[in-house]
Amino acid sequence: MQSTIDNRCWMLRPDVVSTVLNDGAVILDLRSKFFFSTNPTGWAIAQMFETGATRAEIHTASRQWGANGADTQAIDSVIDQMISEGLVEPANAPASAVAGVAVAVWIPPALTKHREPLQRIMVSAFDPGLPLAE
Amino acid sequence: MTFAVTAQKQCTAAYSCGPVKLSLTFDESPLQKALDGLLSQYDAPWPATATEVFVTIEQGLPPDDIPNPAGAYLHSYRLHVDRCSTHLVSLSNVGVWMDFDEAAKKARIIVSHHPDRETVIEEVEQQLVLLLARAWASQGWTPLHAGSLIPPGKTDCVLVCAPSGVGKTTFISALLCRGWRTLGDDKVLLRKENGSIVARALSRRIHLHPALVNWFPEIGEIEKWPRYSRWTEKRMVKMEAIWPGQLIDSAIPTGLVQLERAENGPMLNIEPLDSVGALNSLLHQIAIPSDAVDARFLISCAAAMAGRLRAALVTVGNNAFSNSSTAERLEEALRGLLP
Repeated sequence: MQSTIDNRCWMLRPDVVSTVLNDGAVILDLRSKFFFSTNPTGWAIAQMFETGATRAEIHTASRQWGANGADTQAIDSVIDQMISEGLVEPANAPASAVAGVAVAVWIPPALTKHREPLQRIMVSAFDPGLPLAE
Repeated sequence: MTFAVTAQKQCTAAYSCGPVKLSLTFDESPLQKALDGLLSQYDAPWPATATEVFVTIEQGLPPDDIPNPAGAYLHSYRLHVDRCSTHLVSLSNVGVWMDFDEAAKKARIIVSHHPDRETVIEEVEQQLVLLLARAWASQGWTPLHAGSLIPPGKTDCVLVCAPSGVGKTTFISALLCRGWRTLGDDKVLLRKENGSIVARALSRRIHLHPALVNWFPEIGEIEKWPRYSRWTEKRMVKMEAIWPGQLIDSAIPTGLVQLERAENGPMLNIEPLDSVGALNSLLHQIAIPSDAVDARFLISCAAAMAGRLRAALVTVGNNAFSNSSTAERLEEALRGLLP
């Protein structure tokens, strides 16, 4: 997988939204309704995809953030997961990764998919959950 | 609520629903009476009405030059909702249609003729709930389907998150009987204010099942109160009648309980939840549409709060409240979630 996509630019899908949670973030796929949590370095990688980035650009940025050769697999794993989950899509525009994404302390990036998606069909516009029998 | 009949045989009514005032014009007064139960429930005091939305409700057929919404924005059991620019267009199962122009703050609801009158009314109600949820959000408020509990003398609250039917009201009733206070048993609005999140009450009513008297005799007979809906035995009871002085207007959420019910398990089990778990609980109690801009606003509010909450997963066994020590243990656990 990696060898065929190294030069491609990837961008977060427009219906994937993210928000900061503590020092990481939560990413919600509004199409599948699954959400993902990231640690700070996973969040930095996700931010790179906001305006488009190649795998090579992510690796370059990661080295600047403190990654070394031992981290290559973890970085690729997060990128592969974002691609396989459909959080990012190929971008036609040239890569223009977000500048100024900073990582205070480098740790191997992680992206965790949560088991339970949010409700696809809701009870109402105020109460999303399927009620249990009383 | 104010109500009047105009010279054109139209009825008008106005309701303050939290930060939103709804001004309705009907061409059918029985419908107005049927909707009064829904719209009167948002009767919690509010410091100021921030915005007014004008709604006309009329008999007829949906316009045939607008495609039926597919539910791309929001899909509920009753409604398919699409967004088109500033408009939300929504169609219910039995043909109640709404066009809500959020920018103009005007909505038009068309009620088609259908033999199942009760279902028609319920689906008009669902359209109004959609309208209110969006109007509240446009004023910076996030609607959260959750109960809340505030210990005596404090202003911090614990949010109680669970789907309907798990037992939020029972849980809250148990603590109300021990002197705690609440913003309500299943609805609050949240907003960032001065660097923190504030939760405000929407309703002075609580939805109590008559069987609760078996566990909490102090609530007395509640069968005289009107039913909440035809689908449940629960009664819509004014808080003041049962727990005077225990409904408050606002609080700062600092704790969260994800409530679960165990059919065959221990009477009470309490485990800590991390901030991701707290956010998971909150997101499952917010109706998040598929529109990225609208969703981002709601998710940001939940995440800003989740990072600050002390949270716990509380599993309550069936009939747990027949044992008086359950409420004592819960009270101790909830105090541990507050500063």
